[in-house]
Amino acid sequence: MFPLVSLSLFMPLLGAAVILAMPRARAPMVHALGIGTATLTLAGTLWMWVRGVQADGFSQVEQIDWMPAIGASYRVGVDGISLPLVLLTAALFLLTLIYSVRVRERPHAYVVLMLLLETASLGVFLALDALLFYVFFEVSLVSMYFLIAGWGHEDRQRAALMFFLYTLLGSLPLLLAILAFYLGAEVSTFDMRAWIAQPPLSGSAAMWALAAMLFTFAVKTPVFPFHTWLPAAHVQAPAAGSVVLAGVMLKFGTYGLIRFALQMTPEAMRAAAWVVMVVGVLSALYGAFVALAQTDLKRLVAYTSVNHMGYIIVGVAAAALAADPALRTLALDGSVLQMVSHGLVTGALFFLVGSLQERANTREMERFGGLLQQVPRLGWFFILAAFASLGLPGLAHFPAEFQIFLATLGVAPAAAVVVLGIVVTAGLYLRAIGKVFLGPLPAQWERMPDLGTRELLVLTPLTLLIVALGVAPAWVLQVIHRTTSTLSF
Amino acid sequence: MQEMAHDLALMWPEIVLLLTAVASLVCEMLRRPRAGFVVVLAGLLLASVLSVPLLGHDSSVFDGTYRVNALSVWAKLVLLPATLLAALLARGELAASPREGTVYSLLCFSTFGALILAGSGDTMLLVLGLLLSGLAGFALVAWPRDARATEAAMKFLIYASVCGAVMIFGLSYWFGITGTTLLGALGGLQQAPYAAALGLVGVLVGLGYKASLVPFHFWAPDAYEGAPVSVAAYLSVVPKIGALFALAQVVTELPESSGWQGILALVAAVTMTVAYLAALVQENVVRLLAYSSVAQAGYFLLAVIALTASTLALPALVVFAAAYSAMNLGAFAIVTQAGTSREELRGLGRRRLWTGVAMSTFLFSLTGIPPLAGFAAKFLLFGASIEAGYLWLAVIGIINSVLSLAVYLRIIVPMYRPVGEAGGSTPTGGKFATIVWLVGFLATLLIGVLAQGILQQLQY
Repeated sequence: MFPLVSLSLFMPLLGAAVILAMPRARAPMVHALGIGTATLTLAGTLWMWVRGVQADGFSQVEQIDWMPAIGASYRVGVDGISLPLVLLTAALFLLTLIYSVRVRERPHAYVVLMLLLETASLGVFLALDALLFYVFFEVSLVSMYFLIAGWGHEDRQRAALMFFLYTLLGSLPLLLAILAFYLGAEVSTFDMRAWIAQPPLSGSAAMWALAAMLFTFAVKTPVFPFHTWLPAAHVQAPAAGSVVLAGVMLKFGTYGLIRFALQMTPEAMRAAAWVVMVVGVLSALYGAFVALAQTDLKRLVAYTSVNHMGYIIVGVAAAALAADPALRTLALDGSVLQMVSHGLVTGALFFLVGSLQERANTREMERFGGLLQQVPRLGWFFILAAFASLGLPGLAHFPAEFQIFLATLGVAPAAAVVVLGIVVTAGLYLRAIGKVFLGPLPAQWERMPDLGTRELLVLTPLTLLIVALGVAPAWVLQVIHRTTSTLSF
Repeated sequence: MQEMAHDLALMWPEIVLLLTAVASLVCEMLRRPRAGFVVVLAGLLLASVLSVPLLGHDSSVFDGTYRVNALSVWAKLVLLPATLLAALLARGELAASPREGTVYSLLCFSTFGALILAGSGDTMLLVLGLLLSGLAGFALVAWPRDARATEAAMKFLIYASVCGAVMIFGLSYWFGITGTTLLGALGGLQQAPYAAALGLVGVLVGLGYKASLVPFHFWAPDAYEGAPVSVAAYLSVVPKIGALFALAQVVTELPESSGWQGILALVAAVTMTVAYLAALVQENVVRLLAYSSVAQAGYFLLAVIALTASTLALPALVVFAAAYSAMNLGAFAIVTQAGTSREELRGLGRRRLWTGVAMSTFLFSLTGIPPLAGFAAKFLLFGASIEAGYLWLAVIGIINSVLSLAVYLRIIVPMYRPVGEAGGSTPTGGKFATIVWLVGFLATLLIGVLAQGILQQLQY
């Protein structure tokens, strides 16, 4: 069989190697190579999408022995939960690389790190071997660290250091949990499929493993009170870095929550689901309220991420609690779809904030006003993305959040208080739009140029996807649904 | 007679190493340092090759006093090539200086001592190995003959003498109870747990100083700083691994009742934590790496503790030894080229792309970030530790990994800063150091992926 999955996975790495082999290449050439590689990768993942997933278990599995002595293999494959995220990753990286063609400072290193990060991110979603998963999980940290430290804003060294230390501390408990699974399994293997089919741990061991994993994924997602690294990293990261961080890397947390916590320790997760639910609700509300207090536009978007990721946590907790399979499927459908929508919407918002910062060298909302007259394209794109972010029907977040709330109402009506978050986000976005884009235009911004071709090339497809996902979510949902409806735990 | 021949046939690597040491000394007497260097390279290569057929042996020679088992053979396979890399480094750093040839000879003698340690089947061989590798070590540290090096060597010597004496004192308890110096007879201590523990403390002092475990590590940063960088690189790898493997040979024979696992676990936890905390405030890169090598010795102990309880422990020990040698020698090789202060490293990664990439790789590998060699090793270490029931120790190891990242970033961050007014140093040290870090770089990348080879050989 044609190794399509592995080829797509390592295509960015191959591109990175080619760029490294051409140290004398000029910046446009380097960017062109980067974009070409990302396009090929996207083509590969689109083909994977066409191939589709089967209803039960994983599809398109490719496997090679790696360390048979300890049961570790190179195993990759997709199911309905990972495939949409793989596609999202490939698409966002391509757009990010297009957006970044303006980077003139050490372009070789920048594009190579981006491509390395793409392989790592795809690997997290594709890996079916726990050891391999962990490898990709950590490699993504290293590349992101260098991206923030090398190309970030004013206070980047501190932010990068904090990001690296915090998330490394976060991910090491997962290593313990993986080791516990490995030592607990009857057959010594790191095959995630085997662990899912037959959870290796039970009783208090499973509870400890779950606690370790919840910590890891809570830091990664991030969930209140483990979110403090996020605003710092986002504000200091370059625009492209923020897009990848929010659009792709935050999903590692919620994807891991479903793949590891829910599927490998189902009993413990069911028992602890109330805690997870409460944390999710708190996190969603906290994120919304703190975002309300921000004056820095980028911090505002960063905190709304905490809010949106909180909904996903609530959805996963609802799925764990639900006794009725229909409700469980509904909750999981919503959660996975929310990951995709959040990737698209937050991606668009961070691109736009980046463009605004490029033009104005500030992100303080107070200093803007009336920009809609001066830069109408930027303004309308922002307004659309903001409406999508606050959950307006017809845009990407609505179908996802609707399903999550519906399932939550069915399982734990009290948790429906989380809907309050939507009201707050609506308020804060309307306020932000009012401050930045409406009202009188300050004289200093009278020469601000509108979005150029490069930015339009990035934002148009993204906005189309946001609308497409809002109007007709079925094309993604049917893939997700095929897997979520057959999950047995 | 036949038995003697059989015994000697299993000792070929040691014999070749000893002959190499003597031959290189002769070359130095003839004032031919270059020839001495070539002899050492060839001899070490030959000894490494001769070690390969010994894989899979599990026996002992000379009436059980010297062991040819997985530990001692893998010690040869790791330490002989490591010595070779150290000799290359020394050539790059010290070439054309007077008395250059003695360094190569001393390296071989010290490695001989380390191999004896790693293969000890008898307490007297422990003493012998400790002295042999120690004596050569003092001379190596004192080699520059300036005030700093002399002070460093003096400190090293006094530490070694006291710790060695304590060890012999401790061993006398074991001899008194069991009536023999053979390690294989230590099971007889079953009925005398206190004497067993007292002896263990003695051994821990002696081998602990050699492996630079806290609290016997104080000599290490000073000695490394005073010695030539290539000697520091050597000391941080070869004698240390020899001592740790010797400890493994000893503790696997001890009865559980002596509480050796608990004692070692405590030492491991303290070693990792104290050393990384101390490393956090170092400005000199050699001192920082010295403290890092102290901390890594603590990680080695995780495997030693689990040896009797987990099948993962032996592979963990071997893979970690190989990985540690590769990444530590590589990091020191770049230090010989770039300079020993953090200020000198400034901008290195911007000026020299591959040097920067290699140094970052070594440091990330020391932290344990996948998919590098250090990760594969630490993964096995933590697995062994958990399987042996020392979850808390694995947790401390993991927390220290985060701390270690903060330590190693103290080197990585300045490497990617824009070059300051000082201008940074221009890498020197020549092609030999480059060869060493290239070899280390490849090994660091490949050991993680190819650990299967080692695992399979150990028939896990």
